[in-house]
Amino acid sequence: MRRLKVLLALLLALSMLAAACGGDDDSSGSDDGGSDSSDDGGGDDGDDDGGDSGGDDGGDTGGEIATDYGVDAENKIIYVGLNADLTGPFASLVAEIVAAQEVYWEVFNANGGYQGWTVEPVVLDSGYQTDIGIQNYETLAQESSDGVLMITENTGSPITAAIAEQAAEDNVLVIPLSWASLWPDPTFGSAILEKQTTYCVEAMNGVEWLAGKVESEGLDPALAIIGRPGEYGEDGSVGAALAAEELGIPVVYDGTGAVAGDDRSAVIAELVSSGATMVWVTLTPGELLDIFGNSVSQGLQAYWSGSSPSFNYLVHMPSDFAAEFSEYYFQSQYQAPWATPGIAGMEDLIAAMVEARPELNISDVFTTGWIEGIMAETLIRAAIDQGDLTRANMVAISQDSSFSVDFKGLSANQSWPADYNEAVVRSSWIYDVDATKFNLIPLGDYTPENPGSTGLIPIEQDYTGSVAENYVFDGPCIEASG
Amino acid sequence: MITAVLQFAQVGAGATLIQTLVKALALGSVYVLIALGFVIIFKATQVLNFAAGALSMAGAMFMTILISDGGFPLLPFANPLAPAEGETAGIVLFFVHVLIALALAAILGLVIERVAIRPMVGQPLFAMAVITLGIEIAIRPFNLDATALEGRQLGVPWGANSWDWGGAVVPKSYLVAVIVAAIAGVSVLFFFRTKLGVAMRAVAFDQEAAMAQGINVGRVFAIAWAMGTALAALGAIVYGMAPFPPGGSVSQEIHPLLALRVLPVIVLGGLDSVAGAIYGGLIIATAEVFAGQYLSQWNSTLGSGYSTIVPYLVMLFMLLVKPYGLFGTPEIRRV
Repeated sequence: MRRLKVLLALLLALSMLAAACGGDDDSSGSDDGGSDSSDDGGGDDGDDDGGDSGGDDGGDTGGEIATDYGVDAENKIIYVGLNADLTGPFASLVAEIVAAQEVYWEVFNANGGYQGWTVEPVVLDSGYQTDIGIQNYETLAQESSDGVLMITENTGSPITAAIAEQAAEDNVLVIPLSWASLWPDPTFGSAILEKQTTYCVEAMNGVEWLAGKVESEGLDPALAIIGRPGEYGEDGSVGAALAAEELGIPVVYDGTGAVAGDDRSAVIAELVSSGATMVWVTLTPGELLDIFGNSVSQGLQAYWSGSSPSFNYLVHMPSDFAAEFSEYYFQSQYQAPWATPGIAGMEDLIAAMVEARPELNISDVFTTGWIEGIMAETLIRAAIDQGDLTRANMVAISQDSSFSVDFKGLSANQSWPADYNEAVVRSSWIYDVDATKFNLIPLGDYTPENPGSTGLIPIEQDYTGSVAENYVFDGPCIEASG
Repeated sequence: MITAVLQFAQVGAGATLIQTLVKALALGSVYVLIALGFVIIFKATQVLNFAAGALSMAGAMFMTILISDGGFPLLPFANPLAPAEGETAGIVLFFVHVLIALALAAILGLVIERVAIRPMVGQPLFAMAVITLGIEIAIRPFNLDATALEGRQLGVPWGANSWDWGGAVVPKSYLVAVIVAAIAGVSVLFFFRTKLGVAMRAVAFDQEAAMAQGINVGRVFAIAWAMGTALAALGAIVYGMAPFPPGGSVSQEIHPLLALRVLPVIVLGGLDSVAGAIYGGLIIATAEVFAGQYLSQWNSTLGSGYSTIVPYLVMLFMLLVKPYGLFGTPEIRRV
């Protein structure tokens, strides 16, 4: 019996030793790390490439890098995924966002990457269909050499909501192309790394700003809220209602979730007769065009603004209501539009896009793709500095309250504390709409003297109203549907 | 920027009624145009054209290609009549382009008839109807791809301008819709009194007897498809004018479903009746628009978009009480 105990103790000690060695292997990257993507030779590559990585790379640690999936350690290539709507309803915008992020990585790679590591984006088209988006996620998240390290763009709230739980389980960090107030909630999806503010906070700022505008015109604020059903519409509508309540603004028409299908005549009738002096919308561009156009045509004169995706200069500027949009509508946004002067990040973006994609037209949403690139690069640099390019470490870095990203003026800098109330970004941008300045030009024709214009002129940069600033969030403004 | 203090347009009950009435007439006019397209094809060929949605949108697309792109569909050369870039066509030039677009739509209808419908003459009508469904599915992706998210501008010269009729705001496009539909309706009624129109009625009545009388049935079919497609295209063009929902453009979101909304019209009026298409269009649009305006306070109870259900309720009622519609020809069977 005693000999048996000794034998068991020896076995236990050996197994612990083996486990300890295994742990070393994982962190040093000297072995397979449990993946097909082989992280051998990380140290050698680091030494070889240290000189190539350019002056902005910082010191080359020359150490070994732990990796698991989505990283070709031998060739020092990191694969990132984009689950993007390239053929669905948001295709024209998303294609430009994707192009900007691709250019971001092209520039990053051309400058030698970071410590010799370069990044290759893998782009899959979801068509904004949830089932295809989930399939794409599974392709990108596969635990083999064909997987990616992280997803640097995932188009849309529905697809992001659908994959959030699985992404947390898989340790696949996801940057959503969506601003639902669900994303900063760590209990909802710990692997979802939201960027910028939320539809809810954006609405708070927008309503407060609009109220000031209405009052400056000598009118009493009276708010109408119009939103489509679902996370997006409800999030913006709830934020507007919260702001109205805090500011004591009467809500004369609450059309939350009232816009569904292609007949909006009842909503328009209610809005026109409501006596609203200000309107907050959370709609699609087509819905806004119909409701705004018909309301104005029927004599409603009020100031309008709405959640960022509601307004699309490609739809509204050439429309027959361009003059009315210029007069009454103010675009809410999260970032700098094309060619905003005095912003370092914009200068980088313009130089890169003009050089790399002269055939494309100028676009405001290039900023979005560029910001996604900045977020992912900051994460990747931190991971390389820590010697750990595993998926789990990417998630861990994003959850570190000291981790922050500098967007070089393109948007408010951001960090991700665990507490929802602290994590929510409180600022947004307000643009004036001026159709007379709308001048889309190919990037190839860009000059500093003739930069072209989307007709959107920032009038408030990183604006934070008193409601958004002081509001204490105990969680998202809405509950996830389904 | 606004220089004066905003004043609310306190639209009174009378003005609201006028606005609603005009909107109903305008929407009814669109329905009439598309319904006439259905009816003409059905009258001549006994085929219910399920491709009307895609064909009407294609016609409107031709208009945008002509006037906004300054080109011709599928052809490499420029349109010499197109307005200069950044400029809007004058009213006369705009309507010239409408006529060219309708001609192109008619050619599309002719081609489809020749390629897909003519070979099916004598085959079961159900098979022909299914073929039109296939045509709809085949054409729609081209339309959607070409319009994209942002739509394609029609370049309407009067844009979203409107008149003020004693406090009622009346968009110019609405009046244009009514005038265009009136001209089209009268033209179609007149057409059926011409020799060709009588031939079409004869073919509709009995193909074999018509052939025996020397009527070229194939030619009648071709003309019916050309006319039907052009009328549907005209409806789609008119519906693209602001403040109809697409706001001056051809819309990926709105236009594909337009023809579907006309089905209650032709059921109400009767599938083979020109007068039925006109009356049906006006009745259905009036029911829809008035319900949207005057039941709006119950939007949350009735459900958003409830007014689009109204035409189908009218259709259902009509099917129950008069299955052949108000003006349709009852089918008489020997028992």
